[in-house]
Amino acid sequence: MRIELDRPRCEGHGLCEEAAPTLMHLDDDGELVIDVPEVDGADLDAAKAAVRVCPVAALRLAAA
Amino acid sequence: MTAPLESDIDIWDDDILVDPYPTYAALREQAAVVHLPKNDLYVLTRYDVIRDALGDPETFSSTSIGFNPMVNEALQGTSLASDPPIHTQLRATLSQNLTPRALRGLKVIIDQKADKLVAELAASGSFEAIDSLARAFPIEIVADLIGFQGHVKDNMLRWGQAAMQVIGPLNQRAQESFPIAGELYGWCSSVTAEDLAPGSIGRGIFDAETRGDIPQGSAGHIIHQYLGAGVDTTIASIGNIIALFGHHPEQFELVRENPDLVPAAFAEVLRYWAPVHIWGRKATRDVEIDGATIPAGAQVGILFGAGNRDPRHYGNPDAFDVKRNPVDHLSFGYGPHGCAGQGLAKLEAHAIIEALARRVKSLTISDEVREPSNITRSFELLQVEKVVAA
Repeated sequence: MRIELDRPRCEGHGLCEEAAPTLMHLDDDGELVIDVPEVDGADLDAAKAAVRVCPVAALRLAAA
Repeated sequence: MTAPLESDIDIWDDDILVDPYPTYAALREQAAVVHLPKNDLYVLTRYDVIRDALGDPETFSSTSIGFNPMVNEALQGTSLASDPPIHTQLRATLSQNLTPRALRGLKVIIDQKADKLVAELAASGSFEAIDSLARAFPIEIVADLIGFQGHVKDNMLRWGQAAMQVIGPLNQRAQESFPIAGELYGWCSSVTAEDLAPGSIGRGIFDAETRGDIPQGSAGHIIHQYLGAGVDTTIASIGNIIALFGHHPEQFELVRENPDLVPAAFAEVLRYWAPVHIWGRKATRDVEIDGATIPAGAQVGILFGAGNRDPRHYGNPDAFDVKRNPVDHLSFGYGPHGCAGQGLAKLEAHAIIEALARRVKSLTISDEVREPSNITRSFELLQVEKVVAA
């Protein structure tokens, strides 16, 4: 699966980074960077958690 | 088409507003959507259905977030009451000063103010928590942030409360609040940069308007929304923090022992007692939910507190548990209209909880009073009979 970010909608709340720190992070300007866009296995669970906690629904998982 | 099940309750009945959770449980067990003919309203009661509706603005439009036509008319053109794609631009303008990255510089000062206030209260032996903490703290933070001064700062509480009451149905509470909400509306229509403190975010919004970064005339609207949305809600949550720690001393003790629990504790406070108990949407088409159909054009009411206690989503939902960490609670809403000020709300509440954990050993509540209110649910009075400083 692939993590997709709706960039204009992202406000940098950072809950996704807490849920999946190995897959994404906020940079020094508070912009979200997806470090590992293609995910499977254990990464997929973390990615699902990150998508789930985004308070503004800016993340989604799509077929790779 | 199968019509949703009905209930003959009035969701704005005084007794239900003060103690809504038994009613929420009954409605939730009845169905995911329940028709309330007395309120001409379809309420959503279960977690998944609420979250799906909040994430689907095409089906559940925000053009009817309020429960009377006057307030919905007055809110036209705001981010709050608009749908994508227009909403996207309005929201960006509203939220650019409120995102965690924009607020990062404020944490130190907010933490200092919370620590000073809580230390004074802890040393006082006893205090009334609503006026001296739940109201005093966010009013000072929001006033400093937006640059409110003089009579405006003095009016923030009543303006903020009225701005919420008028979103309800046209009951006595809403009718009495319309003139006061009108004062706020009038002031925001005529406010200029010079009315706001130099260096404040409020000034910055006018600078953005002058530069052409945001549409002409939008600065007053944005300031209106900051005040309308950011005062009564935060007051409710800070009062709830004190009350819940007073009711559950063993939970407060867990936070004192492990301050890493502060964010989880605040999420649980928000889940356990939703500061905003109902919010509106309009069904743009016939929507089928669990086999029952909400007709196109119907007014929908989202019961955040009912969803937050749904046992289908949270185990043992009626227990207050600071270790639960319910990061997906519904009290900030969800999706494109998710609370724009949640970063600031968390900064304020985390600062208060951290200060309590540091400065207070125990607190005992002797008296608490709730007044029924159309949209927010909070304490009017909360007497801390005895506080022991740490």
